[in-house]
Amino acid sequence: MSKAGASGAGSGPTAAAAAAAAQKQKALLQRVDTDVANIVDNFNLLINVARVTDPPIRNSQEAFQMDMRAARMVQAADSLLKLVSELKQNAIFSGFASLNENVDRRIEVFKQLEESTERLLEKIGEEAAASLKELETHYYSSVLRTCQHD
Amino acid sequence: MQRPKPLPTEVLSDLAVSAATKLQRLRHLGRYFKQSSKAMEQQVSRDARFYGSLIRLQQNWKVKRQRVAAMGPGSEGFSFDLLDNSFVDLTALSRPSSISTVRVDHHYSGILSIQRPQKLCRFISLRFIGADPSCKQKSISRKKIYSLAEHHRAAKTEALTDEEVNECVKDTHSILCEIHQSTFEEQVFDMVNHETYNPLPGISVTGMREDFLQLAIGQETSVCLWLVPSGKEDGPQMVDPKGDSQNGESGLLNSDSMDLAIVGDDQHDFFKMNLSGMPNPVSLEIYLLFIFHENVLARARERRSCATRAQVPGEPADGSCGVLGHFCMTVAHRIFSNKVLSELESLVNGVPYLQLLSHPTWHSRTSSWSLFLKFPQSVLHAGRRSKISDNHHLKHGMRSQFHTKVVVKDDQINVSGEGAPSIICSFRGSSDDICSLNSFGCDLEDLPMILLQQVASQVIRWLHEEALVVGMKASRDFLCLYFGLDHGDTLGLVAHVDPDDVNGCISWWVVMDDGSAEGKNLTYYGESESRRFLGHLSLEALYATVMDLASLCSIGGIH
Repeated sequence: MSKAGASGAGSGPTAAAAAAAAQKQKALLQRVDTDVANIVDNFNLLINVARVTDPPIRNSQEAFQMDMRAARMVQAADSLLKLVSELKQNAIFSGFASLNENVDRRIEVFKQLEESTERLLEKIGEEAAASLKELETHYYSSVLRTCQHD
Repeated sequence: MQRPKPLPTEVLSDLAVSAATKLQRLRHLGRYFKQSSKAMEQQVSRDARFYGSLIRLQQNWKVKRQRVAAMGPGSEGFSFDLLDNSFVDLTALSRPSSISTVRVDHHYSGILSIQRPQKLCRFISLRFIGADPSCKQKSISRKKIYSLAEHHRAAKTEALTDEEVNECVKDTHSILCEIHQSTFEEQVFDMVNHETYNPLPGISVTGMREDFLQLAIGQETSVCLWLVPSGKEDGPQMVDPKGDSQNGESGLLNSDSMDLAIVGDDQHDFFKMNLSGMPNPVSLEIYLLFIFHENVLARARERRSCATRAQVPGEPADGSCGVLGHFCMTVAHRIFSNKVLSELESLVNGVPYLQLLSHPTWHSRTSSWSLFLKFPQSVLHAGRRSKISDNHHLKHGMRSQFHTKVVVKDDQINVSGEGAPSIICSFRGSSDDICSLNSFGCDLEDLPMILLQQVASQVIRWLHEEALVVGMKASRDFLCLYFGLDHGDTLGLVAHVDPDDVNGCISWWVVMDDGSAEGKNLTYYGESESRRFLGHLSLEALYATVMDLASLCSIGGIH
């Protein structure tokens, strides 16, 4: 939404917005690469550490390394999740074409709704007028009316 | 010194210990990964819920992302913007609505909830001064119906089904609708306030506060507009004169207007007038919102497309009195037309052969009815002589029914009808123009009398035609039917109209003179040898009377 002004104007702002978008895309891809590489590297190191060594030495150090590698993997995965959230947000807020299309569609729907409501109101009004006329005619020809004056 | 070589069993034992330790570590890692995986799955489903809800709400509402530095990536800075752009220039002078921006909360269960504004939603309420609050029919109980369900759902952190999420989105949508409507009504109230700055003829502001406006329309009617907070079922209350006087931020004009604005106990009885003829305040509220909405939208459309301005329904054509002026004139008209209708109904009750027909005009400041006089077939000349064709009747100007139309525009009554002589025709004495269409204005006081005279003259005309058909020598005047007798004497059938007569509004006399006696004076003179009161006759009885008079005259004529 906040980029509406930038993308809607002349070529300068559009080019700037395109450059900013490209930059953002590059940064996002870089983050994906970093996170995936992080996961893979830490997994490799974790596997390496998991090997049973001969002789058994440095148990506590290995345990610490395993915990650290696992935590880094989880952290990288969490970072990926956040990135997915950001992508979703961008999809929601920056899809101007689909947003505009949706707005146009909604406008059309509301126009139709307005027309149908107006037709309905007209119909109700006509029916009410017809009913009123019928009731008035019925009342003035009814026994109630004629007996009232007898 | 060399270390002794470990035995194979010892090596295997060490290896087993090391493997077991590693296995324990790996199991621990496995648990950690499982926990993380579960947490991430929950995170994914929460995000899916939240963004799914957000996308669904975005179909109908404008979602904004607030870029606040304190909020990190992924943190929610969303808000719904409920302010309509088409109002921007009109509301430039008025206060910005405090509830037009609604912050979005991301509940930890993934539920999208909104922060309800601190101030309650307020809605326009209209009331006539002195009206009974119990007559208020608007259902203000529509508010605050979602908060309970909201809390229940918020308490459930896990295991939310799709239906529950769906319900939550619907509830949020409903709340946004409510806030949006409240925003609109506040804007309308501000626009009404703004319009009162321009002097309007016949309308004066007698009270003004932040959320209150009292308008005097004409001499008799006072209308109050309130902004009522939601949840107050009983609507606005009359305020104690001394209670709220120190409300500094209320935009109060001065203490005098405050005193005028507030109806104290001592004044309450004064305003306890008969309010049965008042229009329904709810329909007026709807109409007020409607005309402002249409007016604002028409201006916005004009501004955008620069096209020819579409005529807004309900808007005054000249636009001189503004939307508020039009509304106030509508209120005044509705009250006045109710009075006219009341008069017409009492009139119809007093004349048994008269029917009142309503004609909806679909215009807020025009009302129309007609009084329908139809002669029964049993006494109609055409009914008994079917050989006389309709063309014959038309050719001779014979009518079996008469319409008298009453049209009220604003506070102007116009009566038009056939069958009654105009004043000029009456002076001229010619019967040719007598049946032309009359149209004249009158005021409310004269309306019953004018209509009764119109109806009575229509009956006279019918009787005259019937008398001519049976070959009588008859003539008619405004409310009299004369039959010529021997020696130049005349026998008159005179209608006497009295709107206040409880027995019937039209009574009949037989006058044996030159017909100079006017209907008005008949009651004062009383009965005499030359005048005889016939009573409130039905059409059948009138017809029979005329036929009797015809036979009497024919006998008199022969002998």
